[in-house]
Amino acid sequence: MQAMIWEEVKALVDDRIDDGWFSVHKRAFTAQEVFDLEMRHVFEGGWVFLGMASQLPNPHDYLTTTVGRVPVVVMRDGEGTLGAYINACTHKGALICHKRTGSGRLHVCRYHSWSFDSAGKNVAVKAMKDGAYSDAFKAFDRNLVRLAAFADYRGFLFGSLVETCPIEEHLGEARHMLDLAADQGEDGLELVPGEVLFTYDGNWKLQLENCADAYHFTSAHPSYLQLVEKRRREEKANSVKSVWGENSAWSEMTEGVTGGTYAFEQGHVVNWQIIPLSDTVPLADRAEILAARHGEKRRDWMVNMRNVTIFPNMQIAENASSQLRIIRPVAPGLTEMRTFCIAPKGESAEARRMRIRNYEDFFNPTGMATPDDTICYADCQDGHANPTQPWILGYSRGMTSVQQGADAFAEVLDMTPDRSQPCGSQLCDETLFHSYYRAWLGRLKAGMERAA
Amino acid sequence: MITRSEAEDLLAHEALLLDRRDWDGWLALFTEDCAYWVPAWRDEENPTQDPNTELSLIWYQGRHNLEDRVWRVKSGLSVASVPLMRTSHHVSNILVEGEDRVAASFAVHVHNAKRRADHVFFGRYEYRLVREGDALMIAEKKILLMNDYIPAVADFYML
Repeated sequence: MQAMIWEEVKALVDDRIDDGWFSVHKRAFTAQEVFDLEMRHVFEGGWVFLGMASQLPNPHDYLTTTVGRVPVVVMRDGEGTLGAYINACTHKGALICHKRTGSGRLHVCRYHSWSFDSAGKNVAVKAMKDGAYSDAFKAFDRNLVRLAAFADYRGFLFGSLVETCPIEEHLGEARHMLDLAADQGEDGLELVPGEVLFTYDGNWKLQLENCADAYHFTSAHPSYLQLVEKRRREEKANSVKSVWGENSAWSEMTEGVTGGTYAFEQGHVVNWQIIPLSDTVPLADRAEILAARHGEKRRDWMVNMRNVTIFPNMQIAENASSQLRIIRPVAPGLTEMRTFCIAPKGESAEARRMRIRNYEDFFNPTGMATPDDTICYADCQDGHANPTQPWILGYSRGMTSVQQGADAFAEVLDMTPDRSQPCGSQLCDETLFHSYYRAWLGRLKAGMERAA
Repeated sequence: MITRSEAEDLLAHEALLLDRRDWDGWLALFTEDCAYWVPAWRDEENPTQDPNTELSLIWYQGRHNLEDRVWRVKSGLSVASVPLMRTSHHVSNILVEGEDRVAASFAVHVHNAKRRADHVFFGRYEYRLVREGDALMIAEKKILLMNDYIPAVADFYML
């Protein structure tokens, strides 16, 4: 396979915004050579999300994940300090930590018994003395390899395999969206026990887009929407109440601004919608506390639906419930999703129960909404094998109404996005996706230059 | 007291109704206040235990929730349910435990004709059965899905 040159990669995004045109070539979703570049330069070439600090609360705890194709372990040392390392013995490369989350002061490699402490230090080489090692070997750094960059932003852990900008610069103004999540808890956020894993037959960027895509909602999810409406009417005991049964924001009759989108530098986006405070919102019973602590307007923002993407692999969807997603590309046409119910620490048992029930119904691959998305992704992946009309037409809604900088709703948060699109329910902005592909090209370009 | 042969008949009947897509018949096997539970997995080795504080793949109290699920796959409004997968439920190792509990192993072979793909979901069923008149009914069904690495969709009729 011929490796692509930068000019070919750049040509996959037709970004002529001044002509009112933006499109992405279908090959960006299907070609193995594009995927290989993405792994190396998008996922292994800059900040990616690793996990939550709450997953490793105590000294010597660890969590394992992958950065692109590379196994990574985040460990808390004896002092409680977090560090991120390549999860591979420096001897012959065997994995060192084996569970999704676990604990250990000392990690002894199962293959040849080299030992590492919870700060990644190689504390023993089995039979070192008798090994007749050279001075060159003895002087070599055998500690677990640290990631080039690692950061804990309010409990959200990020790492990079290459030297890169500070995390504050990477998150930029989108950090306000993480703050809105983190500020809901008495002491931050936690993951409800139970990780749900699934795959879909499509490119990882289909998930990236869908999370921020208001346009599909009434098309792909009518069965779910009709059921929550029916449950609201019937009010049976043991029925799950949902915010989607409660508001009319999706109605074509709705006038005025009902929500909108923000697009940020570095490829982060959010699609949001006004949700009125009601008993279907898990935050309802702490609404007064949150208002006292953060002000009513920030509290109302916490209640609003927000589907946040932190480029390239993290999403937090707060709507009927609250989901943390980690996107792991496996192949051009195969993606693995690691999903968690993320929740504020300290919420009431009843609020937690409602959050969990709504999560299961909406978000699970065994639920009533997500499979209707992921099967659509597979359909798109099949349809992208289309060389006769290779340009995707899904980046044009909102082109003439998007505004630069903050709108009035962003100003409430002192947040200055690149672009804002305050709108009614039927506009369903697609211009926010432009930020994904600009950041995507940015990482590919930087990586290809580094590699050259 | 429930005999093993009664339990075997009920579980085989349930499997047949699911494979024949006679979902109304399937619903009629459950009591009105039944519990239907598919736990998620807390980690590599342990399923979740408490549906109120931990995540499940599916958790419902009340047959009407299952009726909603049946309505959804029949509605034609669910992308993931058109076309429906073909299923073949295999239930074995059926044992009565105590007064009213039944344990069994299952493997459900699923064929996705659209994507020309096969998958097997496997694990363990645990039931609590009750007698309502002459009928033996399902008051609780727990489906412990061992392979919870799910290819996009796992609906009630595939488990």
